[in-house]
Order: sequence, then C-alpha cells, then structure tokens
Amino acid sequence: MRSLQREPGVLLALLAVIALVALFIVYPQLRVIATPGTGYIDFLTGGTWVRSTWQSIQVMLLSTTTAVLLGFVFAYGMVYTNMPWKRFFRVIGILPLLSPPFVVAAAYVILFGPRGLISYGVFGLTLNVFGLGGIWGVQTIAFFPFAYQLIADVLSRSDARLEQAARNLGAGPWQVFRTVTLPLSRPGLGAAILTTAIYVLEDFGNPALIGGTYTVLPTQAYGLISGFGDLPGATAVSTLLLALALILYVGKIRLDGGRSFVTVSGRASSMLRPPVPLALTWTCFVACLLLSVVILTVYGSLLVSALTLNFPVVLTPTMQHFEYITSGTNGTALQNTLVFGLVAAAFSAGFALLAGWLVQRVAFTGARALDVLLIMPAAIPGLFFGIGYATAFNEPWLDWLDRGVLIIISMIFWNIPVGYQAAVAGLRQIDRTLDEAATSLGASSLRGFRDVLVPMLGGSLRVGFVTTFVRAVTTLSVVIFLFTPSSTVATIRIFQLVNDLNFGRATAFTVADISMAIVVLGVFAILARGRLALGAARA
Amino acid sequence: MGIDRRYDRRTFLRLAGATAAVAACGGATPTATATAAPVAGTISVYSALNESTNNEFFGAFKKAYPGVTANVLSLAAAGELQTRIRTEKASPKADIFIGGSSEFHDPLGKEGLLEAYIAPNAKDIDAKFKEATGLWTGWYTGIFGFISNNDRLSKELGGKKPATWDDLLDASWKGKLILPDPVKTGGGYIFMATQIFRFNKDEAKAMDFMKKLHANIAQYIPTSPGALTLIDQGQFVGCPNWAHDILTEKAKGNPIDLTIPTDTGFEVGAISIVKGTKSLAAAQALVNWSITKEAGELNVKLSNRGSTRTDVAPAAGSPKLTDVKLVNYERQWATDNKDRLLKLWQQTVGL
Repeated sequence: MRSLQREPGVLLALLAVIALVALFIVYPQLRVIATPGTGYIDFLTGGTWVRSTWQSIQVMLLSTTTAVLLGFVFAYGMVYTNMPWKRFFRVIGILPLLSPPFVVAAAYVILFGPRGLISYGVFGLTLNVFGLGGIWGVQTIAFFPFAYQLIADVLSRSDARLEQAARNLGAGPWQVFRTVTLPLSRPGLGAAILTTAIYVLEDFGNPALIGGTYTVLPTQAYGLISGFGDLPGATAVSTLLLALALILYVGKIRLDGGRSFVTVSGRASSMLRPPVPLALTWTCFVACLLLSVVILTVYGSLLVSALTLNFPVVLTPTMQHFEYITSGTNGTALQNTLVFGLVAAAFSAGFALLAGWLVQRVAFTGARALDVLLIMPAAIPGLFFGIGYATAFNEPWLDWLDRGVLIIISMIFWNIPVGYQAAVAGLRQIDRTLDEAATSLGASSLRGFRDVLVPMLGGSLRVGFVTTFVRAVTTLSVVIFLFTPSSTVATIRIFQLVNDLNFGRATAFTVADISMAIVVLGVFAILARGRLALGAARA
Repeated sequence: MGIDRRYDRRTFLRLAGATAAVAACGGATPTATATAAPVAGTISVYSALNESTNNEFFGAFKKAYPGVTANVLSLAAAGELQTRIRTEKASPKADIFIGGSSEFHDPLGKEGLLEAYIAPNAKDIDAKFKEATGLWTGWYTGIFGFISNNDRLSKELGGKKPATWDDLLDASWKGKLILPDPVKTGGGYIFMATQIFRFNKDEAKAMDFMKKLHANIAQYIPTSPGALTLIDQGQFVGCPNWAHDILTEKAKGNPIDLTIPTDTGFEVGAISIVKGTKSLAAAQALVNWSITKEAGELNVKLSNRGSTRTDVAPAAGSPKLTDVKLVNYERQWATDNKDRLLKLWQQTVGL
C-alpha cells in the first residue's frame, strides 16, 4: 500500500486498469445478466442444464488431458531435444489455431465421416464422428497448440544451470525432469492446463458442428437463443460456465500453494541444457511427426477443396474460388481481419503484461479479485461477449463510435486471459531482487518494470500477442452481433459462404486467411527475435 | 451459360429500368404518394438471403431506385439477425430485415420492433402470405422436400424414394437419415409443425411420429444447408430439406435427387421494416419493389424459390405450390406455439 502512495504513476496505472476492466469486461456481462424476465429461475428449475453440464465436464476432462499431453510432448521436444525439423514443427504447432472451427470441422467429416475419404475410402470403416468421440478428437487437435505455446514458454525459461547441477550430482535425465524441471514449471503448467480446460469448456464451434445430439453448455445456450429467443435461459447457462471456470481457478490456486518458483535471478545464464537420451529425442520426433501428418491431411484437404470445382464430388481443378475472394468487398474483409487482429493483439499483449505486473508485484487490496476478472473472459462464450457488447454499447449517444473500434476493443478484452496468465507465470519465475535492485538504484517501480522486467518477459508478451492475434482472426461468435457491412471480417464471409453451400469459396477464403496469418506471424517471429536479443543485451 | 446469364440479366435490368420509368411517369396515380420527387436515401439491410442472391437482387433494386443506396449486411442465418435486431433495440442499426421465413419476423412484430407498412403492391399477394397489419410481407415461398443420395439410395434401399413422410419410418432407413435440428433451424421446425398439421393438430400422434422417426435419425444437423452437404458426400442417405436448395445442389453436379412427399409444408419468406428507421420512404420502396413481378422472377432465377405472386412461374424442375399436396399449414398458430411445441418435442425424443 505504501508503494502506491509513494508512486502516483503506479496508482494511476492501477486505476486505469481497473477502470478498463470494469467498463469492458464487467459492465457488458452485467448487461447480459440483467436481461429482464423470470426465465432465469424457470430455466434452472427446469433441469435441462444438468445433462449438458455433466457432458461439458466430461468433454473438458477428456479433451484437456489429451491436448495438454500432446502440447507437452510437443513443447518438450522443441525445448529440450535437438530433434530435426523444429522449424516445420513450429509452423504445425500453430496451424490449428489459425482456422475458423466450422470449416475445419467440415473437413474432418469429409475425411473421417461415415463415408469419409480416409475412414471409409481407405480403411473401409464407418465411423460415427458425430458425438463425444468427434468432439474429443477435434478439440484435442484444436487446443493442443494453446497448451504447447504456454508450456514451451515455461520450459524454455526454466534454468539450465539447476538441471545441469542435478545431473552433475548423479541424477538421471528422468529424475532431473521429475524433481527439478517439473516442480519449477508448475505455475506455467497449471496455467496451461487451466487455460486449455477453460477454452475447451467455452468452445462452441466444434461441438456445434460435430457434436450432433451431444449437447454441451455453449451449444445449449446457442440453441436457447436461436430456437426459443430465450436470452435469460441462455444467460443462466453462461453463468453456469463461469461458475465451472471459477472452480477450476480455485483449484489452480490450491495447486500452486505458496511456494516460490524463482528460476531467473540476476545473472544471465548461458549454459546449455544437459543432453537428452537419443531414444527420448526420437520418440518426441515420431510423436510430433504423426501429429503433423494428421494436421497436414486436414489442412491439405482444405487446399484441395479451394482448388477444385466442388470437393469432394467434382474434382475438376479451378482457380475460380481464388478469383472470387479478391473480388467485391472480400478484399475489405481480409484487410479488416488483418488490421483488427494486429491492433487487438498489440494492445491485448501490452495490457495483459501491465495487468500481470500490477497483480503480481504491486501490493494492493483486491489483487485477487482483479486476477479473477482478468481470467474470466476465457470462460465467457464468445457469443455472450458479443451480445454483451451489442447490448451495452449500442446506445444512441454512442452512435459515433466506429464499429471496427468496438470490435477491436471486444477482441482485446476477450483475449486477455492467455497473455495475462503467461505474464503472471513469467513474473513468478523472476526473482524480485531484480526489480528491487532497480528501485534501490533510484528508478521508479514503473521504470523498473519497463526497463528490467519487460525485456525479460518477451516470451510472455509473445504468447499474449500470438494468441490474441490468432483468436481475433478466427473468431466468429464475438463478431457476429457487432459487424457492419464496412467492418466485416473474413470469418463472417466464410460462415456466409459455408451457409451458402459454397464450400469451394469458403475454403479458398480460409486458405487466404490462414496464409495471411502465417505471414504476419512469420514477420512477427523475425522481429521478436531481434527484440529479444536486444532485451537480453540490456538485461 | 455465362453469356446466357449475362444476357438474361441485362434484359431484366432493362425491364426493371422501364418499370421504374413507368412508375415514375405514373406518379400521379392515386396509389402513389403523389410526390414527383424520386425516393432517395440510404438504408441498412439485414439480409438472410443467399450470398449469390444478394448481389444481383440489390443491384436490380438500385437500377429501379437509383436514389436509394442499400448497405447490405448479409448473414445467411435468420436467427442471428433476429437476435441482433432485438439486442439493438435501444438504437436500431437496421432499416430492413429481408429473408428468413416469417416465423423469424412475426415475433419481432409482436415485440413492437417492426414498423407496419401495407405496400401498394401487396394487393397482389394472397392474405395467407402477409401479416394483416403490414408488420411483415411475404415475398417468396419455399417447399419442404426430401434429398437423397442416388448411389446409396439404389444400393442400400433399392432406390425407393419416400412417397409420404410415413415411409421414412421404415426400418431400412435406420441410421441413414438426418434432419435439420428443429430447435436450431427454421426448416427443422417447419418440418415438425408440418407433421402436426398432417395429423390434424393431434399433437400426440405427431409426437409419436417424431419419436419413431427419431429412432431412424442418425443426427440432427445445426443448419439446413449443412445437412445437404452431408447427403452430397454420401455420409448419410436422405434428409428432409428445402426443395429449392436441393435443386441448387443438384445443378452443381452432386449425385442427389429431389422428391416431394405428399402432405408437405412450406415457408413464406418475409420482408419487414425495423421500427426507428430514419429512411422510411426508402425502406418502403424496397418492400414495395420486392413484391413486384420483376423482383419475384429475379429471385426465382437466383434461388430456385417460388414467388408469392401468382403471375411468377416457378423454377425449372421446381413444383408449383398449387401442384403439390400441402398440409393446411396454419402459420400463425405454428408461430405462436413454437416454444411449447419444441419443448414438447425435446421431451418426447429425450434431447
């Protein structure tokens, strides 16, 4: 508290963060919840939510387990081993994040459905992909990249010297991993599991398209709105989701305990990691390769569809789908996607880092409440986030506000949680003596944050930027209630084309969208590497 | 084909232009508002029409009313547009809601979110295709039919297409049928309501039918077009769905066929004006234009749907509303009882 009074800059930053969170996260949700009507209680007593809640939990447990496991193998292989093709795997590890789920789910059905090209065409199997099995499979692939990104960030920050020391003392690789690496990575792993679990819980696109009659909470909420116009009932479902997420959050806090996870102290480490047994390296390589084959098959089929007349029935090659997407307003949609995504990602990552620092390093009452609020958006289905904004900010006196700006704001705050989690996990691994050294040398806390911590948190910043960008580029549900003809985005166009039974054009649009995102992330990776080197030199 | 189409369109535009000119000259007729000034303004249109229809349809409207600029927000999901109009009621962003069956427009009207307007041209539209006070006007029709995958139908069911909906209860269809989800799609609900009218509103009998049908249904699909794609690919064998969309799919070279079982239902596609519009005259012009013969013919050509006007011929291969055996579809009753019936259905099949 004293530091706040002494440093008006920090106080100002804190007040600004609280005000923004209140205005753009809390207020729109309150507007949704405050929808008049007694539907709320009727709905809860009706009991239809029991089964979908149970099924949501079931799906969450299954998909999170497999997604985190895959993400971990991927991250371990990338950080600890010197397996070949790392560059290739890095791209694969981000590909599933870059595509709107409704197109990919359609591709899964084409490949693995009852008459799927692979399941039936190659293996003669009639698979029932609709239902729990389908959701589980698709979500595992869709969400492992989140786990991978978060875990890789944590693992790469664990101190090689500690591991080397343990090895020198006679511990085997497995023992080092179990007793040194894993315990030190716990906040990051906890965050990865929590975040993945919450995203699985909130996922609407995949269960909607491949879930069939297997209803989960987000699809039930959607059914209530689109079938019955029952906003109160849908809000009740959304609140249930929030409650589940809160339970996960409390669980995570208990898991973390009050231990210290500091691995980065004053002196920079340039030591190499101890070598990993060859067998382990190749096991990781094979696992990553198998996963890559599945992912490439799915995305390859999108490319084939984009280049043929009417995939998979009429396979005449054509360029007409690509010609179409450069015509009319389609170019604008791609451009908007790019601009909205970039602006939202930059602000979201920066804001997340600042908020993470305030919560982690500045002592103030209510830090924990702010912590919860910053993780909360992950558990709000995009649909409600969009409806919340459409309700809260659609007032006559706000008509001057450009819808593009509103969409960007919604993307910034909806995507805060991953960047924020990464920032907090990163900060917990950095020794406080570092920032204290800066302040005792006369720098303000803010200056210490800017000049000492931010350069060391490049990884967390990057996680926040990348995640926000890819989620902004692929979201449909947040935008669907906010976009206008001039602020339309690629996902809206793709959704429209899918509904219009124009899968060829839809996939061409998807391919263009994904390519654009890959180029952006490629440029960003090159820039970020320069920035990181700069940061290391300063530290 | 491309040249043909362009030629058609040009002819059409010329016709539309001529109509507009005639309309302008005939400005002194008693039905018109008696102002010589042409309608001008900018309107925002929420359109649930197909992508392919939007461009040409609003292009033609622009030719007819050069002073009116229509900014079209297209989203081929009427439920989402309905929700948008609801959430935006504090400061409406749309002037017109076009497309989607009247079931999506009617509740908005009841909630006071629509502006009533009886267009001069509505005199040519039968009363069952429009709301009496003008809250919405029906301008197209769609018939519910059945899509089947040719290859799988002949191999697995001996090529036997359903002549009635009851034929779908045959055990040979088990696991091979899909249906647009009655809760999430307008089509699925109209199919279910059709069954109720088929049994003369004996809900118990209709639910018994839906329950037996449920035993044969492999999946309920969240969008009507999504279900068609699955039949195109042969993932499943058959699905009740919109006849016009089935014809469009067939034209693309998909190995499928359209059947219209007897006692089927139909939709009335509507257009309505959103209350609070600042360009009332321009909005009214679009409503009135959409029920002209020219607009009806253009829409038939673009979407294979029918017109609510009797002087517009249906698309090739498409049945006329008067030629198929329809149930006595009481639209108002079906709309008013939608929530109750859907819940009844959910309980019946245990979803």
